[in-house]
Amino acid sequence: MITNQTSRPEIVYVLLLVQAILWMVAGLSALPFVLGGEIHMLGLGLATLLLALFVCLVGIGILWRRHWARRVAIWLEAVCLAGSALLFLLPIGANHGPVAMMTNFLLPGAVIWLLWGRRTRAVFG
Amino acid sequence: MYSVSAEHLVGLIGGLIALPLALIGLRFHQRWRTAPGTVQAAAVLMAVSAGVHLALIPHHLATQPLTSALFLVNGVAFISLAASFTWRWWRLASSALLIATVLGYLTYVAIGLEGPDQVGIATKLVELTALGLVLVPVRGERAAHRAWRHAGIGVAMPLLIVISGATVWIADLARPDARHVHAGALLQATNTIPTPAQVDAANRLYEETSSAILPYEDWRQAWAAGYRPGGSASLPSTHWMNQGFVDAGYVMDPHRPQGLVYANTHHGPVLLGAMFQMKSLNRFGPDPGGPMTAWHQHENICFTPFGLEFSLMTPFATCPLGAIDISAPPMLHVWIVDNPHGGPFAVDIDPSVVAALDRT
Repeated sequence: MITNQTSRPEIVYVLLLVQAILWMVAGLSALPFVLGGEIHMLGLGLATLLLALFVCLVGIGILWRRHWARRVAIWLEAVCLAGSALLFLLPIGANHGPVAMMTNFLLPGAVIWLLWGRRTRAVFG
Repeated sequence: MYSVSAEHLVGLIGGLIALPLALIGLRFHQRWRTAPGTVQAAAVLMAVSAGVHLALIPHHLATQPLTSALFLVNGVAFISLAASFTWRWWRLASSALLIATVLGYLTYVAIGLEGPDQVGIATKLVELTALGLVLVPVRGERAAHRAWRHAGIGVAMPLLIVISGATVWIADLARPDARHVHAGALLQATNTIPTPAQVDAANRLYEETSSAILPYEDWRQAWAAGYRPGGSASLPSTHWMNQGFVDAGYVMDPHRPQGLVYANTHHGPVLLGAMFQMKSLNRFGPDPGGPMTAWHQHENICFTPFGLEFSLMTPFATCPLGAIDISAPPMLHVWIVDNPHGGPFAVDIDPSVVAALDRT
């Protein structure tokens, strides 16, 4: 169980997997509305499912210490954080509960923090 | 589901207090520095879950002693496992406890012993993340059953998160509290039984509104007055909004309703009723009819500009790509067609009424 190597990539892999599953749930949740006549929800639901798959692949890339995966993950989470900050600040009645804070701020922030820095970058080939 | 239950707030505080305590306390473990980061993170998250469960004990003690006992066992077990990460069977025991805790919560929610709220869902997310961290093998680690552990992550985590989301969602929709109606719409707080004066006021509002919007049975008149359809015409009904009246902030003016609702029938739009809307969130309008004319506010809906369509935010606070989480200001419908399931001020029009109009 004891190791001297960093396990940050493994932690990020788990976090990205959780995020991918949450997006998968969001994608699936859009599909029933297509039956009610909301045809655009089909495209959005499928796009969300593809995003979930992509995030899962990025997570595997992180696990395999791929340099591209680290870069993509940082950018992806930065975009998520920026979008979440916008939703948080705009007076549109977006949810600000603990779960929203965890999934929209804590999780992307943790991924960026774990992948940031020269020492972590050196781990990725 | 989207709010923090008052009796669970103490759990949230307990979890937040447990976080720094765990981060400091676990550093005193002699093998903490040599443990993989995944193990350290899992131990801290389990300590947070312990904090939540232990903090909930006092509130449940009087009414639910069995649940309190389970919380105690759970909290002590999580703390023990967080501190014994060098134990040979740590991963197996931790995985079993985490899975059992999540399934236990879902059972409580499913049979109605517990109402799903933000503290419960957040705690389950913490536990499921901890489960992934317990299972994931680390590079360079002399790990036994590597393939099984990866398989465990690939199967257990998606399965448990999907089951958790579905259970919480179904329980919330099937058993909404007194102030929540369809799809999470929040009702204005009112008295339970309308007084004779309130019945008269509601009838007056209905008469005034139905006669004022009668010209809009011809949708061209509505168009000329500034009403525009919002959303797809492929839906059974569409709200036509008058942005001028919305911006002006008229409050329940029968001659200037902010919206009209039309059924999309094969022979064109058929007027179903009017909709009054307040200008700001969380400010319900005047309620002359008491429970008969309670306003409602749609919360946590995922809105997309593509086709102006809506879906519901998941219990995990996520929306589909291209949609954002919003709430709509309080609104009150006045249905001028017969609405057998709910009456003239119901939140929704009966779908069978719309279908019947389409058939005629």
